[in-house]
Amino acid sequence: MTDILFTKHTVALDSGLVTYLKGGEGRPILHLHSAGGPRVSPAIRMLAGRHAFYMPATPGFNATAEHPTVRTMVDLAELAAKFARAVIGGPCDVIAESFGGWQALWLAVRHPDLVGQLVLQAPAGLRTEGSGGLPADPVERMRKLYALPERAPKETRTPEVLAENQRQRDRYVGGISLDKALEAALPGLKARTLIVFGTADEVVPIDCARRLTAGIPHAHLSYIWGAAHVPEWDQPDRVARLIGAFLEHGEAFVVRRPGGT
Amino acid sequence: MKFSFFHLMPWTDLTEAPARWPVNNSGFDPERGKQLYDGYIDTMAFAEQCGFDWVGCNEHHFSPYGLMANCNLIGAVLAQRTKKVRLAMLGNLIPLLNPIRVAEEYAMLDVLSGGRLIAGMIRGVPHEYIAYNVVPDESRGRLREAAALIVKAWTEPEPFGWEGEFYQYPSVSIWPRPLQRPHPPILMSASNEESAEFAGMQRAMMAMTLIADLKVARRCIDAYRASARAHGLEPTPDHIVLGYNSLIAETDEQARHYLGEGQRYFHRILMQPIRDAQRLVIQKSRFFGESHGQHGEGFVNRLSMLKERTISDMIEAGSVLCGNPETVLRQMRRVRDELGNGHFILNMKIGNIPDDVVRRSMELFRDHVLPEARRL
Repeated sequence: MTDILFTKHTVALDSGLVTYLKGGEGRPILHLHSAGGPRVSPAIRMLAGRHAFYMPATPGFNATAEHPTVRTMVDLAELAAKFARAVIGGPCDVIAESFGGWQALWLAVRHPDLVGQLVLQAPAGLRTEGSGGLPADPVERMRKLYALPERAPKETRTPEVLAENQRQRDRYVGGISLDKALEAALPGLKARTLIVFGTADEVVPIDCARRLTAGIPHAHLSYIWGAAHVPEWDQPDRVARLIGAFLEHGEAFVVRRPGGT
Repeated sequence: MKFSFFHLMPWTDLTEAPARWPVNNSGFDPERGKQLYDGYIDTMAFAEQCGFDWVGCNEHHFSPYGLMANCNLIGAVLAQRTKKVRLAMLGNLIPLLNPIRVAEEYAMLDVLSGGRLIAGMIRGVPHEYIAYNVVPDESRGRLREAAALIVKAWTEPEPFGWEGEFYQYPSVSIWPRPLQRPHPPILMSASNEESAEFAGMQRAMMAMTLIADLKVARRCIDAYRASARAHGLEPTPDHIVLGYNSLIAETDEQARHYLGEGQRYFHRILMQPIRDAQRLVIQKSRFFGESHGQHGEGFVNRLSMLKERTISDMIEAGSVLCGNPETVLRQMRRVRDELGNGHFILNMKIGNIPDDVVRRSMELFRDHVLPEARRL
């Protein structure tokens, strides 16, 4: 794995300050994090050999300040658009995980000019009531998130920060699991989209992926064998190989090349 | 109780054991091969008329003991030659094959046969890994991943990609899909406790063959049951499928004579060179994974034991079903009582047992065993 340095930065947007990590070289990628908060996964480190990653923290996460005017998932998508324009300077590819996938979908729907190719890993926002989700029990929670818990990142944040992350997530989501307005908007999504699911994911049920492939005009579903809800940590090699090929070759990523993908 | 008729399609014309594996194929006479295939397929189609629930066959490579490099081809023929009997492919050696091709061929068989496929997903015996140049140490990992991929290919309603440890397919959408929903019944081998646990984990039917010791078999079945329950399946007797070398004749003496001769040919001629290849794989790889020492030794011992035992020893140990109809019924009851199975697979063409003797055995099964055995 390439040892690439990720550095912490802050940008002032009209709604408030946004903290972000930046690392890697190459075509820019906006990475929108899961409800676990921004973390540089082994898969990101592998991809950062060919891409510059921009990883903003959602306001309120990881002890950052809330933005009073940013309250919903659509607001977060608007904030991501402002971030892309201000920091990246325009269009980019987007990789998003779970909670971040919900934002990324709204970003691609509302700002098609900003999103090149879109990678959604088990995106939230399209889960029918009562299906999937995360249990409160910490042991059971880990089992649902990771197929290989020994590969999970070591937790260095305080319990207070983690509880606040959860509260912020709940605040943005507003108690809904199926965003019907988003589902209705999917056919208008222009970006070529790769949807990535772990074969053992029980948090976001697979019917969400089917809702996405049925709705998005240029969507492709790929399973990661041996991964649960967090493929970037469970199976970084497989995720980096798949996403790397997709980002490099677009729709031709399905064509095998000499020596690998 | 349910019953299957199984055929290995052996080559019957060797006069001495081949010196080594793979067996030199200069002795294969294609004209004779055509005769054998025709006769064997007739026999397998006849199984339907004898009341068997399934007719089964399997895959082997580079050896005269089984002439089915791809048992799905025989399955396709049987789909045309039979109407109701289920076609049990027992099975494709999925760690050695392209799993997408297996998913497609099995789906074809299921559709061609009107939904009669039993899909065996088998790891295979050690020497097959030399034949197809697959790392034996990877056999369990490949089996796990290939089985999951095949089921996904059968059940996924939209095109999908697969990024795995052993298999990467960026875009999959098979035509046809199987007729049985959500997919054809799956059968897996449970010849040791580790395999039995895996079969239970997959919620598949479990199959055991070449049973050398009923107590050891019982442990495997218990392991299967516990694993299946832990994974949401309450196994019934129908899930426990036991394969037996079998011969039914008018008298016990006739049955013992023919089965004894057939087993001698099978173990001392057909199987002889394979043992060397199997020993090589077991010594030089970790085919049996974490418990390689214990299970590898067990596998070799089991084969040696079966080779050395007399028919009387085998009957006593519960390793074969052999005798007149009443004797065989008694033997079946004993196995059922001790192991709780709901399905016997009967392999009657052992080695070079003449085909007319096999047919007679099938008729005696139909007329004098099945009516009573159904109620077991």
